[in-house]
Amino acid sequence: MDTAVLIDEAIREQLLDAGATIVGYARLGRFLHDDIAHLDMAISIGVGKNLNRGTLALLGELQRKTSRILKESGYRYLCIPPDSDRVKDTFVSKLYPFFAHKIAATSSGIGWIGKNGLLINREFGPRLSLATVLTDAPLSADTPIEFSECGDCSLCVEHCPSGAITGGIWSRYEPYVRLINTDKCNSHKKNTKGLSDKPNCGLCINICPYGRRVIKESVQMVLS
Amino acid sequence: MLTEEKQQEILESLRNAVVQYDEELSEKAAQEALDLGMDANDAIFNGLVSGMEEVGRLFEAQEYFVPEILMCADALYKGLEILKPHVKQLDLGVRGSVVIGTVEGDVHDIGKNIVKMMFDVAGFTVYDLGRDVPLDNFVAEQMRTDSDLVCLSAMMTTTMVGMKKVIDDLKAKNPNVRIMIGGSPVSQEVAEKWGADGYAKDATNALKDALDMVASLKKLKEEAEAKAA
Repeated sequence: MDTAVLIDEAIREQLLDAGATIVGYARLGRFLHDDIAHLDMAISIGVGKNLNRGTLALLGELQRKTSRILKESGYRYLCIPPDSDRVKDTFVSKLYPFFAHKIAATSSGIGWIGKNGLLINREFGPRLSLATVLTDAPLSADTPIEFSECGDCSLCVEHCPSGAITGGIWSRYEPYVRLINTDKCNSHKKNTKGLSDKPNCGLCINICPYGRRVIKESVQMVLS
Repeated sequence: MLTEEKQQEILESLRNAVVQYDEELSEKAAQEALDLGMDANDAIFNGLVSGMEEVGRLFEAQEYFVPEILMCADALYKGLEILKPHVKQLDLGVRGSVVIGTVEGDVHDIGKNIVKMMFDVAGFTVYDLGRDVPLDNFVAEQMRTDSDLVCLSAMMTTTMVGMKKVIDDLKAKNPNVRIMIGGSPVSQEVAEKWGADGYAKDATNALKDALDMVASLKKLKEEAEAKAA
């Protein structure tokens, strides 16, 4: 029990020191595919930055740090890299589709799934880049977020240029409600050729009032 | 200078890199092996493959599960990529080329990839058709490449039945071709009934069978060398 507490603290502390914005632990049991069901604790790692090359490198480094600690303590682990950084031709990449980062993030209390289908954190809004490490280490799980806190706000629904956001409301008990019409979202991507190498238009991220202020402040801090 | 001691140390590093799924160590040890003028075949078989044999044992003992197997395979490939350009072609009296793929309707290809890896290691030329492969493509690819081995994989009972057609077509066109089938719905009985030459139940068994095959190739090589000497 004591070692479990120690490893809890060690991982969280080291990740925050190394540049993680937020770290959460979740017990996922029933959400997992058979091949990874024994790794039922998730360490959800969020970085409050755009998902650019630097952020991907940071997330990778944070995952390596986590796996090193787990390995040294004799636990199993599996690193699930950020969605946009999945090298397709490795063996282990076959397991990535069995897992969604958002399940770990909501289950560990980092945020809820907003109307825009993205993970929303109270402080950073939809502006966290996520990676997950699955493990069989007995970490103490954080409290899941159960309901959407979008409330009456529908800015993303109103501003979506392709009308792809349905306005549905996510909850932990109705996790598969349809939030986004992906065909419409993709059609917008196709029509704006200049953006073709980027994931869609991103307006639903920019418009979200959650976390807009925090980002502005950190930008100003960097500039000054 | 490459002493016997140093050589053992590098082989040990390669083995550990695979068993402990350490990609960095795998690259480093493979590069060191080359820098010190070690035989690439020796580094592969007595280092990397020896590690994978241990992984097979750990899987059977349920110390390792599927994620570990895949991470170990990735680590093996990191070293293999560096060593492979320096492998001396073995004259084994067999052509050593294989057509491999997952049959139409089936997208499960973990087992297939493990088997493919072992063929790669053994120095086979591998024609990988990928997954969800139309049945006629197996026959066409075998004709095109004149491969002596065709490996079919299926993970579902619904897609497994496609194998029989491929086996029949292949045997009709080229009676000498050897056929291996694999996947969880397949059994030894099915393999025999349908006229397949080899069978592997799942990724581990495929790994074991493929390792056995590599081991027997190695023996052939040693015999050939003994004869030459």
